[in-house]
Amino acid sequence: MSLAEVAAAIIGWPPVWQVLVIGFLGSLVIAVLAVWFERKAAARVQRRLGPYWASPRLGGLLHLIADMVRYAFQYPIIPRTVDLIPFLAAPIAGMVIALLPLAVVPFTSNPAYWPLPPSAMEYSLLIALAIVTLPPIFIIAAGWASNNPFAVIGGVREAFIIVAYELIAILGFLGAAASTGTFNLVAIVEAQGGIMWLAILNPLAFLAAFIAIVMSTSAFPFEIPESEPEVVAGPFTEYSGLLYALNMGGAYMRRFALSIILALTFLGGWYPLVPGEGLLMGYILPSVVVVVKAVIVVLAISFLRAVYGRYRLDQALDLAWKILLPMALAGIALGLFEASIGLT
Amino acid sequence: MAPRIGLKSLEKRRTLIDGVRSNLHVLAIGVKYFVNPRRMTLVYPKEYPRLSEGYRGFIILEKKKCISCAACARICPSAAMKMIRVMEPDPKHPEKPRMKQYPVINYQRCIFCGYCVDVCPTEALYHVNYHDVVYDNLAEMFWDLDTFQKEPEYKTALEGRPVRIMVHEELGLIKVPVGEGG
Ligand code: SF4
Ligand code: SF4
Repeated sequence: MSLAEVAAAIIGWPPVWQVLVIGFLGSLVIAVLAVWFERKAAARVQRRLGPYWASPRLGGLLHLIADMVRYAFQYPIIPRTVDLIPFLAAPIAGMVIALLPLAVVPFTSNPAYWPLPPSAMEYSLLIALAIVTLPPIFIIAAGWASNNPFAVIGGVREAFIIVAYELIAILGFLGAAASTGTFNLVAIVEAQGGIMWLAILNPLAFLAAFIAIVMSTSAFPFEIPESEPEVVAGPFTEYSGLLYALNMGGAYMRRFALSIILALTFLGGWYPLVPGEGLLMGYILPSVVVVVKAVIVVLAISFLRAVYGRYRLDQALDLAWKILLPMALAGIALGLFEASIGLT
Repeated sequence: MAPRIGLKSLEKRRTLIDGVRSNLHVLAIGVKYFVNPRRMTLVYPKEYPRLSEGYRGFIILEKKKCISCAACARICPSAAMKMIRVMEPDPKHPEKPRMKQYPVINYQRCIFCGYCVDVCPTEALYHVNYHDVVYDNLAEMFWDLDTFQKEPEYKTALEGRPVRIMVHEELGLIKVPVGEGG
């Protein structure tokens, strides 16, 4: 085998393909698109124009490219007081681990293109959720290593929020498992091919999972750890240049990865397309459908910026513990009820 | 004096239904504006506001009317206007030049308050109705007597489209295009 064949085989191996191409490259494009949409949508709703002059024909889309170039060439300043190794490692590890859930989620029902062996596929939802809970610890680490009051306060806020949303996210997603009686993402998606999407059958769990995603990636109205007027940039206060972009990109990648899990569990995955044989029908087109659904979720989250202000920490925790947690539990109960009467 | 006892009623607690309803309401407003945006941004160099006559823009001197009373230079609160002496031919004795005082203006200092225009007894000073003229360096903003008599070139008008900004009862600020005349 030549070197090119070996490289192609490695890239083509579903877990690597999903993390590198769908995850990394896809979320780079989607991060640019989502930030652009966020700014444009907020501008439309707030009766402004938004980014414009960089490319009037494209509605200022190149503005975001210019921003990325600026981040890439900005001089990174590393203060003398930081704890150097965690300071550098936290954003990188956070970003890589944010993408790891994509290494275990299936994009097709064709077993030839599953990223995990069929026996492990039985627990793919649990594995994906377990990995999803990892990245926030790196945000706290980034704040702690920065050795800056704003960063530490931001990290502590993140810790408060994690405790609240982690449970809701997992219970919300488990609502889907309760409805279908399996942890296998493929089986969960196929259960939605028959009657209807779980988002409609089990709206409580869907809403809980959706709001938990919004919370976990600190999008509006839960942009509490990085709230600009209060704590500068929260855990990322001391970061500049590419490292700052990694931190911000990490949040978008986590949002994208979680949106893919949401698209699979609640939004019907690759349906209406039924995966067939071969690379194109069996893998590429179904994954395109899933990614498009996830992108719609990401854009919907971006839209929230236009209408919501920022909650205070106590308001967010209030909402999480008093309303969302019972709602997620009710979602599980609803799922079990539906499963018992054989609706799914 | 004994303390007065008063009753204070707390606001009614918002119920879950209220919260859901207000969230849906705000989302509906957001979607409404997203679908049908009513933007009021002025795309500035492409569109520029046509300001009304009487706007306090740049100040120009009509030298013929000036009687060298120096009232403008004295009233100027920011000491932008100064009198200078120039030699010029006397209209009565053309062979003998005479000394006369005229105001000049330093636009680094001027705050466009318009006092000088108001105080001038012969209306030798007047405002033009634009304000957005750009200079390459500070020295150019120091106008000598010749420059002070010419209206500066209004470059924005060459590229942009004049609009008038008005308040609409329902729509808020709106832009109405105006023709070249006014
Ligand atoms: S407008 Fe006001 S500040 Fe400017 S020159 Fe006249 S008096 Fe002075
Ligand atoms: S106030 Fe009028 S007349 Fe008097 S010096 Fe100034 S410009 Fe001339």
